[in-house]
Amino acid sequence: MSDRDALIERLADHHRHPRHHGPLPDADVTAGAGNPGCGDVVTVYLKLAPGTDRLESATFEGTGCTISQGATSLLLQDVNRSRPTLGELGALSLDRHLDRLGRDVVGFRERCAAVGFDALRRAVRAIETERKLMAAGYPPAEARRLRLQAQRGADPD
Amino acid sequence: MTDVSVAPVVPPIETRGYAHPEVLVSTEWVARHLEDPKVRSMESNEDLLLFDLGHVPGAVKIDWVADLNDRVTRDYVDAPRLEEMLRARGVSRDTTIVLYGDKNNWWATYAFWVLRLFGLTNLRIMDGGRARWEQEGRPLTREAARHSRGDIDVRPRDDSKIRAFREEIERHVSAGRPLVDVRSPEEYRGERLHMPDYPNEGALRGGHIPGARNVPWARAVNPDTHTFRPAGELRTIYVEEQGLTPGDDVVAYCRIGERSSHTWFVLTYLLGFERVRNYDGSWTEWGNLVRAPIER
Repeated sequence: MSDRDALIERLADHHRHPRHHGPLPDADVTAGAGNPGCGDVVTVYLKLAPGTDRLESATFEGTGCTISQGATSLLLQDVNRSRPTLGELGALSLDRHLDRLGRDVVGFRERCAAVGFDALRRAVRAIETERKLMAAGYPPAEARRLRLQAQRGADPD
Repeated sequence: MTDVSVAPVVPPIETRGYAHPEVLVSTEWVARHLEDPKVRSMESNEDLLLFDLGHVPGAVKIDWVADLNDRVTRDYVDAPRLEEMLRARGVSRDTTIVLYGDKNNWWATYAFWVLRLFGLTNLRIMDGGRARWEQEGRPLTREAARHSRGDIDVRPRDDSKIRAFREEIERHVSAGRPLVDVRSPEEYRGERLHMPDYPNEGALRGGHIPGARNVPWARAVNPDTHTFRPAGELRTIYVEEQGLTPGDDVVAYCRIGERSSHTWFVLTYLLGFERVRNYDGSWTEWGNLVRAPIER
């Protein structure tokens, strides 16, 4: 099996048997992203370990092509294993993600490959927004309401 | 031997009353021509990796993003690029191209429409597409086909007959000529900017082009067999329900012209409409145009 075939097989396996799949009932934040060209949709649920800055768990739901769903599953498998901090999550490199998937596998479908990455990044940004609002003096419930309001303009329905 | 007995039966193509049944071939016909060097099956999918995970033996991949669309301008490739793409896939002057794909052949009819812009005529659609092939339990392979380089000549693209541009749509609307919006009812009503379960992105405004009738593209397909409905059922949908007639000057559109290529195919080849154009600018152009009239 060639390297390319092995990468395709890995993506297909993640598509057929997605890891960390399904809603996370006690998630701190939920964020979505989509790729209109191919019709991919991904929602990421993210929870930090209580009282810390470190990821406790991340899951996803979505529909779409092998690349979009397989790449999201692979990405979430990585972050659930490494448990990065919020800052490390925000600093993840899309280029590195695409390299890991295989550039010649993804081809011109980088948007498919990036949809889960985008959703994860939006989830990180949402948490950061909420924290900034609290740091500015908003009570937690109000900060959450404002953050959700801001997210509604950015996420697919 | 392939056991096709478990798949729901479909009547033969030639008995379904189509105006141009010769543009369709059955899965069974394709299975009989797997070794025919004059027949080149081409798979065109929404899901890029489906082909790599298994395809009709001998088939080659045609990717609408990489192979049909220009990479800079929102337009299609030119004749030299298409010619090179087809020659590299072993297509010669006497090759019959059989297009098939996922999503009930939605992307196969899109490829068919683009190839027709270049005047190619030796084209067929495999009725039922990839889903029907799989439903019948026919073989799929991961083996990459090796075909010797072809010698097809591709003429310059002619956008005047089956492609519609924005200015033409404006005149079409003013003249009260028929438009078919093939998107979902939710998109047509402006409640969504893409299909249900698809991302709600791509246009700043929702709704439809004034005067357009809404006939979702997939109504032309039998959901149980993935094959095209017989002509009688198609006439009920497009002629009796919508009042279209084969002599009408019709424009079909969707979001980027892919779903509407399916309806263009149905009206042109299955019902014999003589003047059907596909507006590939579609809603991503019209719904973003400043001051373009919109109905909801």
